[in-house]
Amino acid sequence: MPLSFGIGLSRNKDAYIAGREAARQAAGIIKNQDISIAFVFTTVQFNPEKILEGVKTVLSKTPVVGSSGAGIITSSGIYMNAVAVLAISSTKIKFATACVTDLDKKDLRDCGQKLARIALKGLGTSKREIFITFVDGLIKNGSQLIAGIKETLGISLPIIGGSSADDLKFKKTYQFFNKQVLTNSVVGVLVGENATIRIGIKHGWKPLGKPRIATSASGNIIKSIDNKPAISIYEDYFGKDNHEIKSGKLIYLSIRYPLGIYLEGEEEYLLRNAIDITQDGSLICQGDVPQNATLKLMMGTKETTLRAAAQAAEELKRTSGKHKPPKFAIIFDSFSRNRLLGRSAKDEIDVIKNILGKDIPFIGFYTYGEQAPLTALDYRGQSHFHNESIAILGIGEQ
Amino acid sequence: MEADLTFSLVGIGAFIAAFSLGIVLMFKMEEIRKLRITLDKLKRSFDELDEQAKLIVKTDLELNKTQEELDKKVSGLYTLQRLSRAISTTLDENQIFSRIEESLVIELGFERAIAFSFDSIPASLTDNTKNNSMSLRLKMQAGYNAEEIKKIKTHLEKQQILAVIMKNNTIFSSLTMTGGPLEEAIKIIKNICGLNSFVASVISTKDGHYGLIIMGNESSFAVLTEGDEEIVAILSTQLGQAIENAKLFEETFRSQQQLERRVKDRTRELSVALEEIKQVSKRKSEFVSAVSHELRTPLTSIKGYASILAAGKLGDIPEQVKARIEKINKHSNELTELINNLLDISRIESGRVELKIVPQNISQMIENISDMLMPPIKEKGMEFSLDLPKELPLVLADNIQIKRVFINLIGNAIKYSPAKGKINLSINRTKDDYLTINISDTGYGIPQEDLKKIFEEFYRVDTARTQGIKGTGLGLSLVKYIVEAHRGQIWATSKVGQGSTFSFTLPISK
Repeated sequence: MPLSFGIGLSRNKDAYIAGREAARQAAGIIKNQDISIAFVFTTVQFNPEKILEGVKTVLSKTPVVGSSGAGIITSSGIYMNAVAVLAISSTKIKFATACVTDLDKKDLRDCGQKLARIALKGLGTSKREIFITFVDGLIKNGSQLIAGIKETLGISLPIIGGSSADDLKFKKTYQFFNKQVLTNSVVGVLVGENATIRIGIKHGWKPLGKPRIATSASGNIIKSIDNKPAISIYEDYFGKDNHEIKSGKLIYLSIRYPLGIYLEGEEEYLLRNAIDITQDGSLICQGDVPQNATLKLMMGTKETTLRAAAQAAEELKRTSGKHKPPKFAIIFDSFSRNRLLGRSAKDEIDVIKNILGKDIPFIGFYTYGEQAPLTALDYRGQSHFHNESIAILGIGEQ
Repeated sequence: MEADLTFSLVGIGAFIAAFSLGIVLMFKMEEIRKLRITLDKLKRSFDELDEQAKLIVKTDLELNKTQEELDKKVSGLYTLQRLSRAISTTLDENQIFSRIEESLVIELGFERAIAFSFDSIPASLTDNTKNNSMSLRLKMQAGYNAEEIKKIKTHLEKQQILAVIMKNNTIFSSLTMTGGPLEEAIKIIKNICGLNSFVASVISTKDGHYGLIIMGNESSFAVLTEGDEEIVAILSTQLGQAIENAKLFEETFRSQQQLERRVKDRTRELSVALEEIKQVSKRKSEFVSAVSHELRTPLTSIKGYASILAAGKLGDIPEQVKARIEKINKHSNELTELINNLLDISRIESGRVELKIVPQNISQMIENISDMLMPPIKEKGMEFSLDLPKELPLVLADNIQIKRVFINLIGNAIKYSPAKGKINLSINRTKDDYLTINISDTGYGIPQEDLKKIFEEFYRVDTARTQGIKGTGLGLSLVKYIVEAHRGQIWATSKVGQGSTFSFTLPISK
């Protein structure tokens, strides 16, 4: 049986009905075939338990993974109140799922390793193609988790995923794992055997001003930039009195103007959102910043953002080359892109739709962070934690 | 010696080397100096670049904020338009609020919203000395759970915030900076409603304050602008108007229902009365019919015996007796005609007469009648003229009954006209499907006040001229019944002293 899949979407106000409706639509498209796995994406206005309950009435025996997002994306548009389900049926592709909870109490690197180990066990000896992750977007250092996964699965296995989001309140995000609604957790799906995988990742943010050096940095904390407290970079650009440069508010400024890490050979800078400030003026970022890294303040415009989305989609098509093109795509789109584009947010979806064409429908959500590989040779396809990016994953059968 | 030479050679070499090094160093120093200058220049350019970047960032920040506000305003206005339409298309007061759905609240740029109506406005609002609490009723909410709503309601009811609000501003927000009690009230609202920023507005109708709507954001990310205040103000006005309309509709609807109920009651009463009248009328017809039958039998005997006596079959009778018997005979005839008319009316009225309505040639009919009526016309020296179109369509009529109509109407014309008067019969096609037959005379005429009543049973026009003329008062009633049984109409026009015209219509056969 060839790969078949179905995408369902519901905007019903009742969480249970919405979950059931979206699952029914998705499952309805795959006729009389066992569903291998289902991805559930939802916004947080719904009660997540009820959604999953609704989904499970339809897909009782199917492994379910998923995440909450700041918005739902499908080929038909953007929905700020919706549940979407992607059901996949394939005899050629293998999916192995795993989850690790209570991230804030554990070492994230260990968590990454554990997650990968469980998934690996599930996949057995099958060939590994990609690892998909859904991690709580409120955990402070996503890079460590990725490092842990890489240590177990090998540095060149691509990792792609999105950090779960809420409705921009930064209070609570959800991860779905079978019948469980989790928070403060990570869910992973190891995809293997005869899958073809295509990835496109871009952001479109451009560097501004002079380069600075992270003179003291460790993990996701930058203590000093050019030997001054790290926050000085924001104070320099936005003025010390700016009320947005304070604890609890900085995220709103840094999603617009993140820090960019210069990477030799990479086309784009690797972006980092500063999510908090410590007493001594250190910046806490969503991902790792290496000591002595060259940093720049970054700025995005609608035009560059849309162009980046187009490039990401084109990458997906281009790398398809002589191989079979992907059958469908999953999109992890940073919510900061939605904020920047404002009323033009739908243009981004249209751009992708135009490039991928009718034959590759997609589903996705707005994230608080993205995980995807870098392309430059020096990084040997290693995956990293990203911000402000759009990561597109195309899946097909060999 | 050798050692000295070697020493001096080394010394020269060292000198040359030192000299060369010195020169190289000098050049290098110069190079370094130049490089330093370039580096300084480069640094300066970087700094300049950075300054420019700062400018760009600040401009971009401003631009973004403006853009965001504009976006918010535009989408807010779009939503407001949709919301206004939704609100104004319902006339049910409760539905008005249920149409402010959560998704619309979000589209308006708010995360949460709550609206209450004032069930009672206590005296404390007008009199600060009293400490009455106000009773609120939840009308809509978005983004709150039951517990939170309960808390908000209790706090708003207990605390004297509402009094402050209504006394000061009807629209206010967390941006409002007035100081004093209103600012204190704003802080309390923020706290009890769990909002970081909000806009609130009192909803007012013509009758006064109706309720309060609060829309706001929990997250500090959402920035409130003056545009938000405007949007909530517009929404609040719309709500007030919609509520007014709903109330007005409710009142109108209720009075209409009352009216309908009354009409129904009256109709029922009238139907009952009509049924009663029908029964009475039926009984009357039956009575008239029975009595007429009963009267006809003895009357026939009276007539028979009077004829026998008058013919002298029982022996000669004196002239005086004969004259009396003639009178008996004549009156008996009149009585018979009266009874026959009565019988006919009751038969037609009760539908017992079966009319044989078939296409008839009306000219032919008139010709037959003229033959019959010519002797009395001539007797009175009157003139009878016909005014008929050349081609007349056939009419749907019962030959015998319509003849009676003609005889009655022309008979009346003869009867109520002085000698040498004129009678004219004309026909015209007034409506497409009907012929109108007019019989005019130059008779005494009928007073205006009597015209309406002449078709009533037993009604007779009582004037000096008509007093001597005998009649039963049933002829025209009978005529009316017959014409109406043909789906026609009958009417009369007249001028006293000039004559009368009786007109009736008959349907044309198609």
